[in-house]
Amino acid sequence: MGIQTLDISPVGRVEGDLDVRVEIEDGQVVNAWTHAELFRGFEVILRGKDPQAGLIVTPRICGICGGSHLTCASWALDTAWETEVPRNAILARNLGQLVETIQSIPRYFYGLFAIDLTNKKYQHSRYYNEAVRRFAAFTGKHYEIGVTISAKPVEIYALLGGQWPHSSYMVPGGVMCAPTLTDITRAWSILEYFRTNWLEPIWLGCSLERYEQIQTYDDFMAWLHENRNHRQSDLGFYWRMGLDIGLDKFGGGVGKYVTWGYLPHEDRYQKPTIEGRNAAMIMKSGVYDSFSDTHTLMDHTFARENTTHSWYDEGKEDIHPFARTTNPIQKNDKDFNNAYSWSTAVRHVDYGRLEAGPLARQLVAGGKHGESWQHYDGFILDVFKRMGGPSVHVRQLARVHELVKLYRQAEHCLREFKLNDPWYIKPKEKDGRGWGATEAARGSLCHWVELEDGKIKNYQVIAPTTWNVGPRDAEQKRGPIEEALIGIPIADPTDPIEVGHVARSFDSCLVCTVHAHDAKTGEELARFRTA
Amino acid sequence: MTNVIWLQGGACSGNTMSFLNAEEPTVCDLIADFGIKVLWHPSLGLELGDSLQAMLWDCVLGKIPLDILVFEGTVVNAPNGTGEWNRFAHRPMKDWVSDLAKIAKFVVAVGDCATWGGIPAMAPNPSESEGLQFLKRQKGGFLGTDYKSKAGLPVINIPGCPAHPDWITQILVAIATGRLDDITLDELNRPQTFFKTFTQTGCTRNIHFAYKATTAEFGQRKGCLFYDLGCRGPMTHSSCNRILWNRVSSKTRAGMPCLGCTEPEFPFYDLKPGTVFKTQTVMGVPKEIPPGMKKKEYALLTVVAKDAAPDWADEDIFTV
Repeated sequence: MGIQTLDISPVGRVEGDLDVRVEIEDGQVVNAWTHAELFRGFEVILRGKDPQAGLIVTPRICGICGGSHLTCASWALDTAWETEVPRNAILARNLGQLVETIQSIPRYFYGLFAIDLTNKKYQHSRYYNEAVRRFAAFTGKHYEIGVTISAKPVEIYALLGGQWPHSSYMVPGGVMCAPTLTDITRAWSILEYFRTNWLEPIWLGCSLERYEQIQTYDDFMAWLHENRNHRQSDLGFYWRMGLDIGLDKFGGGVGKYVTWGYLPHEDRYQKPTIEGRNAAMIMKSGVYDSFSDTHTLMDHTFARENTTHSWYDEGKEDIHPFARTTNPIQKNDKDFNNAYSWSTAVRHVDYGRLEAGPLARQLVAGGKHGESWQHYDGFILDVFKRMGGPSVHVRQLARVHELVKLYRQAEHCLREFKLNDPWYIKPKEKDGRGWGATEAARGSLCHWVELEDGKIKNYQVIAPTTWNVGPRDAEQKRGPIEEALIGIPIADPTDPIEVGHVARSFDSCLVCTVHAHDAKTGEELARFRTA
Repeated sequence: MTNVIWLQGGACSGNTMSFLNAEEPTVCDLIADFGIKVLWHPSLGLELGDSLQAMLWDCVLGKIPLDILVFEGTVVNAPNGTGEWNRFAHRPMKDWVSDLAKIAKFVVAVGDCATWGGIPAMAPNPSESEGLQFLKRQKGGFLGTDYKSKAGLPVINIPGCPAHPDWITQILVAIATGRLDDITLDELNRPQTFFKTFTQTGCTRNIHFAYKATTAEFGQRKGCLFYDLGCRGPMTHSSCNRILWNRVSSKTRAGMPCLGCTEPEFPFYDLKPGTVFKTQTVMGVPKEIPPGMKKKEYALLTVVAKDAAPDWADEDIFTV
């Protein structure tokens, strides 16, 4: 048995086009390369445009997490223009971000991930027939409910912004809307509908309050064994079937994690600055290093990009996003020894390659760093340790674990709105630099903006999947997904479903990933000092 | 059975996400009740890699009949017309489009990118993007002026950024149930049923438009967004205020100016400095006025309207 090479193009059910090359030896992946195969050039398009162009353009980078891009774009301008953002507007932005992510969880779980549990590979599992009944594409009983219910939360987004996807209702200085009693009442009942028709009866098999009692791995086991409803809920069923088919056995990754933190507290970020951001977030920022079991805060100045293996000719040094020059390779031939992706390799200046996403957020949530009032939740960190580290299965659990917490945060926003207070304070436009960040459903997202002479001089985005799907860096270190593919068993090389599991467990979003260069002129990007 | 393949070029998946929000019919209803078979979709399809490639080739070679090719996103031609910057299943995506368009009974362009190029085709258009049969308002696009699908129709354009889910599902159902003769296309090959009226048709701020009562800045509960905030509602063809978004609202109802995203010029003025969320005026009069009106009559009408306006037109009206 020699080494067999598989080129998988495309891996479907990720956002955008992901191509993967794996080398298999004795039925196991021994090497892997992920490559992003689409380039549109958003940052190039934004150059020279109106300062607020990002509010219109960046949501269109990604239709799945457009609200997250809008969040970044507006906070970036707020910090650049030194605006004042009224309390109501912070809540209204957070609510938009929250319902977009809540939407994403069932849509992702049923539409993108759980379908794979019905793959013929698992027909010998004792859970298989039930999985087909629940999760089969288009016809599965819960597939249909889950995909349909996922449209509900974003109705709340539409109450605020007029539509989802692609509203631009968040603007520097606040929001465009001024919701009325009708809007708030409807939003409450949409949340309730979501809870009583799917979240409690189908997903959890219990009340939110009961689920919230789960603080540790042992609590979770106790919950699972408590009664049939818990076991037979989609969460309970998924957990049991995942173990049965070995999803806990592969798909680990790099073992280090990043989150920018998100959801600025409505009373703590009304005068937004880049420096003041970490201390103002409800969900704290951080890096978790599982090898040393340590938590540290994350800051935008720690981010670096490397283009050694990307289709850009920009040297081999790690550079801050704004110090990049643009020197594209016109002919993007796949050369796995050199350049093979439009994605760059993103690194932390001290910690190297990091995984972004719900797992990262939840591992950081278990840290005691940050401010004492910030959100703390040790559940996933405990599961992670008890399960012996990361896997497809643990990553999934982290993703769906956020549902209940985000639901509570959405309730908080609705409760805290003061309808007769301001929603917008008209700012003064000025030149300057800004940075805005958030957590999209699938991980850390941020925008850097530099304004000069009343227009955009430079606009830069690092998306969650740029962290996750990036190619090797200058030290030949694999990116998180490449690393997560190593060691996975491939039962049938003609249908490498396991590659799909791993790629989809990251909920990759390729359309967000790709950076831009100006191929027409090869102009050098403005330099952005981070000191 | 109506076989559908849905592919994405230079896309953001916004139309897919919009499509998944459909209700009456839902995406699942489409399949169960209207006999639509989605052979493959990037976010929903089961196959990956080689099995998908085999299916695509079977369609190209006529072994599997393809009734509808849905395309989302731009056709990427970069670099230098090769299309290599958007590869899919081991080929430039544009080659798949070209092959599948030859054998598909109907081709449906969903969203601005696939119809006219949309945001990726904005200056300087680094990805050399174009729509299937248009680039902005110019006819031709990737497939050319004379292109007709197997059923003898040009590309059916469902614009919008994104397109409304009902616009998509209703066209698919019309094709699947043999109702296509009921559909009239306009000069941009948009189904008239959705794009004959204006975004303003049904807007809750119409009365304020009539009295020239403005919303001077965001976050207010009064006025019309046309006079100061750059709303394109009166000039844009869409049914956004007739068939509401996400069943609850529309941009203009929520207080966001319409960006004119169902028209080929979107994003208007290429988002040049000073053009975002600001009405473009000449001597205090909006540069663009409702289609079919003459500047002089418009000016006259607004003077009269302003004089005739009752006091309440300037008060908060959507109050708590």
